[in-house]
Amino acid sequence: MAGKKTIKSAIESMMFVWGEPLDIKEAAEVFNMDKKEIYPYFKELQEEYEQEGRGIVIREVNKCFQFVTRAENIDYIERLCTPVKHKKLSQSALEVLAIVAYKQPVTKGEIESIRGIRCDRVLEGLGKKKLVAEVGRSDAVGRPILYGTTDEFLKQFGFSTLKELPDIVDIEGALDEENGENDILYSQQISIDLSQAEPDRTDK
Amino acid sequence: MSYRVKLNVFEGPFDLLVYLIEHAEMSIYDIQISEIVKQYMEHVKAMQITDVNVSSEFMVLAAALLEIKSKMLLPRAVPEEGSAEVAEDPRTQLVAKLLEYKKFKRISEMLEACEEHTAKILEKPQEDLAAYTGEPDEYLSLDIEKFKTAFEQFLRRKKKLEEIREHHRRSEKQRLTQEHRMDDIQEFFRSDPKRKADFRELIHKRDDKYDVAVTFASVLEMMKQRRVDAEQKYLFGDITVTAAEELFAEDGSTEPEAAGDAGSMRTGIAGGAGDAGSMRTGSAEGAGDAGSTEEREE
Repeated sequence: MAGKKTIKSAIESMMFVWGEPLDIKEAAEVFNMDKKEIYPYFKELQEEYEQEGRGIVIREVNKCFQFVTRAENIDYIERLCTPVKHKKLSQSALEVLAIVAYKQPVTKGEIESIRGIRCDRVLEGLGKKKLVAEVGRSDAVGRPILYGTTDEFLKQFGFSTLKELPDIVDIEGALDEENGENDILYSQQISIDLSQAEPDRTDK
Repeated sequence: MSYRVKLNVFEGPFDLLVYLIEHAEMSIYDIQISEIVKQYMEHVKAMQITDVNVSSEFMVLAAALLEIKSKMLLPRAVPEEGSAEVAEDPRTQLVAKLLEYKKFKRISEMLEACEEHTAKILEKPQEDLAAYTGEPDEYLSLDIEKFKTAFEQFLRRKKKLEEIREHHRRSEKQRLTQEHRMDDIQEFFRSDPKRKADFRELIHKRDDKYDVAVTFASVLEMMKQRRVDAEQKYLFGDITVTAAEELFAEDGSTEPEAAGDAGSMRTGIAGGAGDAGSMRTGSAEGAGDAGSTEEREE
């Protein structure tokens, strides 16, 4: 078994070579370790980079780690070269995405009833951008498709896991008592949904 | 596929309603329905939505608003202290829906901010790792067995490629052969029109499947044109080809040639006919037995 320092140093080199998000599973295989064992090494390395305020940040997306630049340095990078900018999502796309993210798995009908307007095209667009994907079928009549968010969504919005999504109540702020009750029920439902969605993602 | 141009800022009926309520500085829990309905209708009219689907979404909410408005006009019992009056407010349902919508609208704003922040983070696309490893996939899990099969696959692919290439070249050369071969057959019979030729005699290169196939097709074509007759005594038996009356008709040199009955000519499509004279359509490798005529269409 290689020493702690060696492992950390090795995964650093591996991430450098890999470029794309490095799955801890693959890294674990290199050391003949369990992925749960290797995970803390990544976190520690990530922490070290963070503490030193390096220009490179280790980003975690669903148990994969990747070197990325520090957001604060974007101006300098832009002065050096002009990175391709992603087109921002439209307001309607963001709304649909918000509903999918917090209510997943969710059917199109549920999304539409919240927004009061059809969203076929928006969903299609989000699917093409790989931000949402079909995650199964509901048991309801007609077995409608259930939608959920993808790893790409986590990456593009800067979340490591779905658990990192801010609590709905925090965003909403103070609420009137009348509806506060609804809201608590609501956030409970969300946390249940998330815990259900979580195992699939961690297993990956 | 409809073409969509979006000019106004409202993403849907709720979006518009929320905007109107906030703009009028009303409390969402105490919406002045008649005022809102008026503004709402004005906006919908001004938006001039031509898409039936979209405008109907707006109309659904308009209808709901009007329903609430009419209900509000009806006299209600004077609210008793602590009674369920609040629940009876016709606006309750709408308010709940609006609140739900507003919640997600706020989440979407939060997401937008997140996206904006993440857009400042750049990643490097994976470079070509071939310089370090060859196959990037095998960098982390190189296994001697996998390597062996991969190498074998590579060799097989290479061999197959060479075969295909060789064949391709050959068929390219012989592209026009059917017409040529028909001329050849005509020439063949010219010297001795009464000759009973074995099919094999007409083939130039017996070990070349392509040549065999073309010759066979030529004979069939010439039979169709009644220029030759062919006879096969039994299934997979030898084929005897004879010149027919029409063979030299074009050149005017009509030489009557009775070829008996244009015998039963059958193409046996059977795999393992082992006997020497067998005519097979199918597998190729068995060119060992001397007389067999094999065909394979490429």
